Amino acid sequence: MPLTLERPDGVDAAIAALLSAPDAVPIAGGTDLLLDLEAGRVRSEHLVSLAGLPWARVERTGEGWSIGSTAPLRRVERSEGLAADHPGFVEAVRSVGSAALRHRATLGGNLGRASPASDLLPILLALDADVTLVGPAGPRRAKLDELLRGSRDLALGRGELIEGVALPPRAPSAYAWQRVRPANDISQVGVAIARPPGADRWAVALGGVLPRPCRVPAAEEALTAPTPSEEEVRRAARIASTAARFASDRRATAEYRRRLVDVLLRRALARASGGARP
Amino acid sequence: MSADPGPLEVNGRPVERASIPDDERLLDTLRWRLGLKGTKEGCRSGDCGACTVLLAGETVLSCLALTRDLPALPVTTIEGIEEDPVAIAVREAFTAEAALQCGYCTPGFVVATVGLLKELGPDVGVDRLREELAGNLCRCTGYAAIDRAIRRLARGGP
Repeated sequence: MPLTLERPDGVDAAIAALLSAPDAVPIAGGTDLLLDLEAGRVRSEHLVSLAGLPWARVERTGEGWSIGSTAPLRRVERSEGLAADHPGFVEAVRSVGSAALRHRATLGGNLGRASPASDLLPILLALDADVTLVGPAGPRRAKLDELLRGSRDLALGRGELIEGVALPPRAPSAYAWQRVRPANDISQVGVAIARPPGADRWAVALGGVLPRPCRVPAAEEALTAPTPSEEEVRRAARIASTAARFASDRRATAEYRRRLVDVLLRRALARASGGARP
Repeated sequence: MSADPGPLEVNGRPVERASIPDDERLLDTLRWRLGLKGTKEGCRSGDCGACTVLLAGETVLSCLALTRDLPALPVTTIEGIEEDPVAIAVREAFTAEAALQCGYCTPGFVVATVGLLKELGPDVGVDRLREELAGNLCRCTGYAAIDRAIRRLARGGP
């Protein structure tokens, strides 16, 4: 496979490089993209490295937390104060691959690749995260839920790059996942919950569902209390386990995934809301 | 055309990158260009940890990094960590417990353990160190001896 790698040293140069070839794709950590290139799932002969862009920040701002798209996940999970403010987000970050993989894998890469089994999309959906983007027409800001079109499909314009993610200052949250082996496989199912500031209910989002990770509003309706009752938790878990499209594949059957959602939602709620552990 | 990323330093030796193809993985540069065969190819897909090396002291999977995309930071392979005190402690613990069977995963385990001990500090604790090493697989399933070696090295935990 002939393949060229451009290493632009700034944002404008990176956008120009992306626009210069129809098959150009950005590469950050490359831990997912390189596998798809090798397997032919992504066809490109022009990689544009984001290593030279100034987007590796993880910081508190006036609005909350601002995390740059090229921040390695390992730096994100080890950022002082982030786990206290966003426990579920850090749980989700730590669930991605191994420590060595997370030293290279980035937040922007996980979003941009938009895998249905992503461990980061569900918690970011539950936190109602904003994504900041930069493209030929300048910067813009959008809700992740609106950008996420489908499996492996984020609605980015041509030449547009993910600049970072904005999270609220803090929110009770949890992320529960299940897979065959912890650091060497992707999740069969992931369940994220969060209660952002001002929200009147727990947000519930699922990963490992088709066509893409999604919120489950019907289950959220049962979870208005800060500490939901056992009956409310059971009802929400039942709704969530039937509300999404689950696939049967080599990792799990659809029926097993439904049962996992039921269990994992109850576990996540017990952790985040201080309720009894099921 | 891509700018020359400058030399990469491997085990203290500068490696010119100008003539290396853009799509070459660090693993292949180490093994086939530099002859550093201690770094092993296992799965070539980021699942087994056999190809773990240190980049500026942090563990990375050399099978999933493009040589020319890496920042100009020092790379350390199993061949390059012999004089390091943490590495000596890790080697002694693995030796004392005979923490290997066929040995193929051993360089990855040793490099990962060295990197994690340096990153997380000597008080990391057994449970945390075990969890952090979950990305390294031993296909002989010789985990019991590896686990004993880890317990010798992690002081802070149970």
